[in-house]
Amino acid sequence: MPETVLEVRELVKRFGELTALDSVSLDIRTGEIFALLGPNGAGKTTLIGVVCGLVKKTSGTVKLFGIDLDRDPVTPRFQLGLVPQEINFDPFFTVAESLQIQLGYYGKPRDDARIAEVLTALNLQQKANATTRALSGGMKRRLLIAKALVHRPRLVFLDEPTAGVDVELRRDLWAYVRKLRSEGTTIILTTHYLEEAEELADRVGIINEGKLLLVEEKSALIRRLGERKLEVRFASPLSSLPEPVARAGASLLDGGLRLLYTERSGRPHAGEVLRMLYAAHLPVEDVETRRSRLEDVLLLVLRGNLPGEAISLARSGEAQG
Amino acid sequence: MNVVGMKTLLVKEVRRFLRVPGQTVLSPLVSTTLYFVVFGYSLGGRIQQVNGVPYTLFIVPGLVFLGIANNAFLNASSSLFITKIQGTVVDLLAAPLGPVEILFGFIGGGMVRGLAVGLLTWGVAIAFSGFHLVHPVATILFLLIIGYVFSVLGLLAGIWAEKFEQINFFPTFVMLPLTFLGGVFYSVDALGEPWHAISLGNPMVYMVEGLRYGMLGQSVLSPALGSGILALLALAATALSFAALRSGYKLKL
Repeated sequence: MPETVLEVRELVKRFGELTALDSVSLDIRTGEIFALLGPNGAGKTTLIGVVCGLVKKTSGTVKLFGIDLDRDPVTPRFQLGLVPQEINFDPFFTVAESLQIQLGYYGKPRDDARIAEVLTALNLQQKANATTRALSGGMKRRLLIAKALVHRPRLVFLDEPTAGVDVELRRDLWAYVRKLRSEGTTIILTTHYLEEAEELADRVGIINEGKLLLVEEKSALIRRLGERKLEVRFASPLSSLPEPVARAGASLLDGGLRLLYTERSGRPHAGEVLRMLYAAHLPVEDVETRRSRLEDVLLLVLRGNLPGEAISLARSGEAQG
Repeated sequence: MNVVGMKTLLVKEVRRFLRVPGQTVLSPLVSTTLYFVVFGYSLGGRIQQVNGVPYTLFIVPGLVFLGIANNAFLNASSSLFITKIQGTVVDLLAAPLGPVEILFGFIGGGMVRGLAVGLLTWGVAIAFSGFHLVHPVATILFLLIIGYVFSVLGLLAGIWAEKFEQINFFPTFVMLPLTFLGGVFYSVDALGEPWHAISLGNPMVYMVEGLRYGMLGQSVLSPALGSGILALLALAATALSFAALRSGYKLKL
């Protein structure tokens, strides 16, 4: 099994004047969950579309499982599953029949046991014989996911898989995605729910206006670009802060009753600042910390407020491995 | 080649039209039967015979042709067009189905429906005017080639159309005039010049005359020439469809 399941190099897609993908290069490793994040129109769905054969690229190369799609666009797709962003369904068929058809498209014989397994995993077993037209929106979304997984693909694209679905399904799906990953399936996810990416992803890529701005391990990214805010309340107002605390960058607010400190790369840890406060015997009454979430990091990157190091990483492409 | 995938698409296409048999099989059967009754009996009373064949018998091959042509075309065109409208075309494009698999899946579905309606029409005609089959092999050949050509043309129309209005363009403005001017209800031999010469440029004439040769043993055109022209037409339409599917014309963004 190759180390990399998907290799995208210098991929460009233009729609007339609009450049939807601007020289995107990306590697997806076997067995990882990769979250592709960015605002609407950033190019996420276009990128997935090129890989899945829905969109014609302008230039660049895409290799799936080591096979160049320009040479053989069909064979790698036996191992591919796609949950498209837009709900679609064929009203002529039942849920079970739709899955049977999907199995056939992927060259697999009828497999009732597998269909039952997928339906159960997505809590659709009661609807196996219902026509797809009769399903609710959330159930149609479940069916899309079932269709993408029924043939046991090695690489699955989940393009906004939980858009418009209830919390229960979202949690069910997260559990199922983790199970798939534990079985060796590689997953590429786009989502507007950053909580979802934070919960699931091993690595994240941030794309905007067709450019892949950054690719990094999720936890390392949050650590590197994220912040930890420390807020301390005092029982009585302080007139000033001890010199080392002020030098660290902390500030006093509310007439000396509140201290605010932002820990980021290169500054002392919040715990160190707290230790200094206790060492100075200050009347600490309450302490609160809050770590940045992926959402904060995404906004930081999209607004272009990257520290110098992050910018150079993204531009050089070193972060894309 | 993904044989299972192609077979799945073909079977799906057949099951799709069988889910709505009233619309896809019975309705065209009723309309072609009405043609038979109205034209055969009203005109048949006056015309009596064409080229030595009773008129009610003379129009049978043409009506069978109409049944096959319309339904093979409609099945392929509407099915592909609807997948574009419903968004289920994504399932086809993302699946490991190459142009050949998609082409023959849709053609197969169109042919099954076209031939089902054509043969049922023939069955109705037999009830009225008796069973006539002079050249079985030629009849089967022409039945198949008519179904094939119209399925491919339907597929092309389905690929090309982006609006409901466009999907009706071919049946209304191309197929209807050409089929009615294709010698279904008259013999092209009876036309004066230049209409006779112009008619020979209409491929549907060769289809109708080919079936007439197979079923009734008489034709004003050479069946060998007809089958050759139709084979070329089938080849050209197949090549065009293949190229369209391969390039993703109007299917991929």
